[in-house]
Amino acid sequence: MSGPHAKGMEYAWFNNVETKPGIGYPDDWENQEKWKGGWKLDKEKLAPRMGNKTGIMKNIFANPNMPLIDDYYEPFTFNYSILHKGSRFKTPPSARPYSILTGKPMEKIEKSANWEDNLGGTFEKRSREKNFDNVQKEIYGEFENSFMMYIPRLCEHCLNPTCVAACPSGAIYKREEDGIVLIDQSRCRGWRQCVSACPYKKIYFNWETQKSEKCTFCYPKIEVGEPTICSESCVGRIRYIGVILYDADKILESASNKNEQDIYGEQLGLFLNPNDQEIENEAKKQGIPFNVLEAAKNSPVYKMAIDWKVAFPLHPEYRTLPMVWYVPPLSPVVHAADSGKIGVNGMLPDVEDLRIPTKYLANMFTAGDEKPVKDALKRMLAMRAYMRSKTVDNELNVSVLEQTGLTPEETEKMYELMAIANYNDRFVIPTSHREYAKDAFGYKASCGFSDNGGCSDEKFKNLFGGM
Amino acid sequence: MAFLKLLNKTSENEGETKGLARIETDIQAAETILVLAPETNGKVAIKAWEALSKTTGRNHKHLAEAREDEKIRFRDLQAQPRKIITSPIWSGVDSEEVSYNAGYTNVHELIPWRTLTGRQTTYQDHPWMVAFGENMVCYKPPINTKSVQEAMSKLNKSDEYLVINMMTPHNKWTIHSSWSDNLLMLTLGRGGPVVWMSEKDAAKINLKDNDWVEVFNSNGATVARLIVSQRVPENALIMYHNQERTVNMPVNQINGNRGGVHNSVERIALKPTHMIGGYAQLSYGFNYYGTIGSNRDEFVIIRKLSKVEWKDEASDEN
Repeated sequence: MSGPHAKGMEYAWFNNVETKPGIGYPDDWENQEKWKGGWKLDKEKLAPRMGNKTGIMKNIFANPNMPLIDDYYEPFTFNYSILHKGSRFKTPPSARPYSILTGKPMEKIEKSANWEDNLGGTFEKRSREKNFDNVQKEIYGEFENSFMMYIPRLCEHCLNPTCVAACPSGAIYKREEDGIVLIDQSRCRGWRQCVSACPYKKIYFNWETQKSEKCTFCYPKIEVGEPTICSESCVGRIRYIGVILYDADKILESASNKNEQDIYGEQLGLFLNPNDQEIENEAKKQGIPFNVLEAAKNSPVYKMAIDWKVAFPLHPEYRTLPMVWYVPPLSPVVHAADSGKIGVNGMLPDVEDLRIPTKYLANMFTAGDEKPVKDALKRMLAMRAYMRSKTVDNELNVSVLEQTGLTPEETEKMYELMAIANYNDRFVIPTSHREYAKDAFGYKASCGFSDNGGCSDEKFKNLFGGM
Repeated sequence: MAFLKLLNKTSENEGETKGLARIETDIQAAETILVLAPETNGKVAIKAWEALSKTTGRNHKHLAEAREDEKIRFRDLQAQPRKIITSPIWSGVDSEEVSYNAGYTNVHELIPWRTLTGRQTTYQDHPWMVAFGENMVCYKPPINTKSVQEAMSKLNKSDEYLVINMMTPHNKWTIHSSWSDNLLMLTLGRGGPVVWMSEKDAAKINLKDNDWVEVFNSNGATVARLIVSQRVPENALIMYHNQERTVNMPVNQINGNRGGVHNSVERIALKPTHMIGGYAQLSYGFNYYGTIGSNRDEFVIIRKLSKVEWKDEASDEN
């Protein structure tokens, strides 16, 4: 019996979308007091929250921070064959659920990889998630005050990955040429310390091959200058890929800042301006290829993260310096009709009146610091109002941009990249240089990338995942 | 037709079809439609606009003239979506200047609206409409479909139940059963048929998230698991259409058979005004024009499923 994924990986979702508010997948993954993922400051020194090297070795046979299958879900399929065997039944047949783990029928499916889809489940349970910290959450459980957002989740390909640090076999590495974090399948010994160490819970243990697997950022596509499959196929065209140059020597210092709320700023400080002549000269001296520099200059990510500051790291307080950044969502104005505050005549609604509390977003993206999130929301509201005045009213309402620090030219560029979102603007990916990426060859056709059962010997069974 | 014959080749079968364009394969059938439709054949579009011009006395040909020589073939559509050619079948235009919107040619080409007066109208002068008091737009309260009263007799004394208004909107992925019933999509949801209810309503009859429930009235019954959510207002039960009973649906306890889908409990009651037909703008077949159907007026009884039974043993009896 097989699931939607290869044997051993039925429960694994390298890329999933969660409905917020919700505890997510696996259960409560954002609660690092429980899971001990990411880093902590131990007497001003950075150490994995799950323990230092000695601690990890001590617990290696009984890791107390290991998520169990019940923290994910029991993968299921259905006995579809009952529907087409042509037998007679007293009442029309229905394919009942079977556990992929035990092969036995399940009385009831109790969990899945997206159990909370569209706010499914009680508010009491969903609101146990960490982003409600310091938010008076009760009122948000009422129908009238409901809010909802989706959060796409994948490996963050961190600058300071805890998974790399926690691996007793040294099997995980971050590629120098493109920053992709990979697990060397021939070196992995299945200790699963990385599963615990990753605060995003984006490394999954393959129980068939006994090795850990993760998102590969579709590196074979990236190497030839193509976007990842998740980005390319995104219907909403909200995934962008671009080059960021950074100062690797400052990583440790940035991740070690005492104040959690300063780490976002620290990470911004690591990023280098590709249009700065000095940076360019230095990069050339260090042998960074010309096409990578050119891509860095046109990086959509640089524009959103640094120029306009509308994109943020997911949970910078984990100190992993994640490299998948998120643009916080705008939401409808609460009680817009009664308050009469809707932005007409160039007036912008107050971000405090948006349905999603800014504190909640700040807990997700800036360790609780609301200012950067509010500023980003304001910039996006101003962009909307400006473009609306331009296209609907045929006038340039520059006054709406006043408090945001955006010029009309920048605003139009922002609109072009974020609202029009042309393919070539979203994905500015330099082809990799084989001579520079010489090590990559050895990792071709490794597990987690190939279909047909990954590294297992099991032969390809059914394209659509049936039995 | 001559073009279609060249394209599909002609039939060599002896008989009436000899010498006519072949429509033997799927592709030939598709090509036939594409050749005859004004949206995909510029020549036909021009012809159609010219025909309409005779009625209106105005020149509409310019709407399609630039694309007169264009023909969209099956292989074109196989490669990528194409923009259709503006045709009088529709009231909008396909243009670089304006986005498609209904009624555009009526307003800008002065083509009369398809009503008795040729203008937009909200007044229905058909005698049946007058008789039903619906000749002007009006509110009518939900009708009592009487589908709950009789079914109440099937309840046990100990049952905790709720009589509730049930709605069957489109699900977020698509409509009907496409995509949502495959294993991937089921894994990215709750894995089978579900109904949604507010937390408040669920608490009234001690239902919990993911409980098996049965939903029934005298139209029929369906079985699903319950999702409680703050997203649903009180006094509403939502069963997104369509979730197939072919996956993960135990039998119901009302009659011991496999329940049906949302349609088993929701019925559209046709009323006489739906059957006018053949009169000005009321010349469609049965549809939701004019006055609405009554399928959103339906009430159901919901209670916890007392026993989960599958009845999936094959039987040799007829």
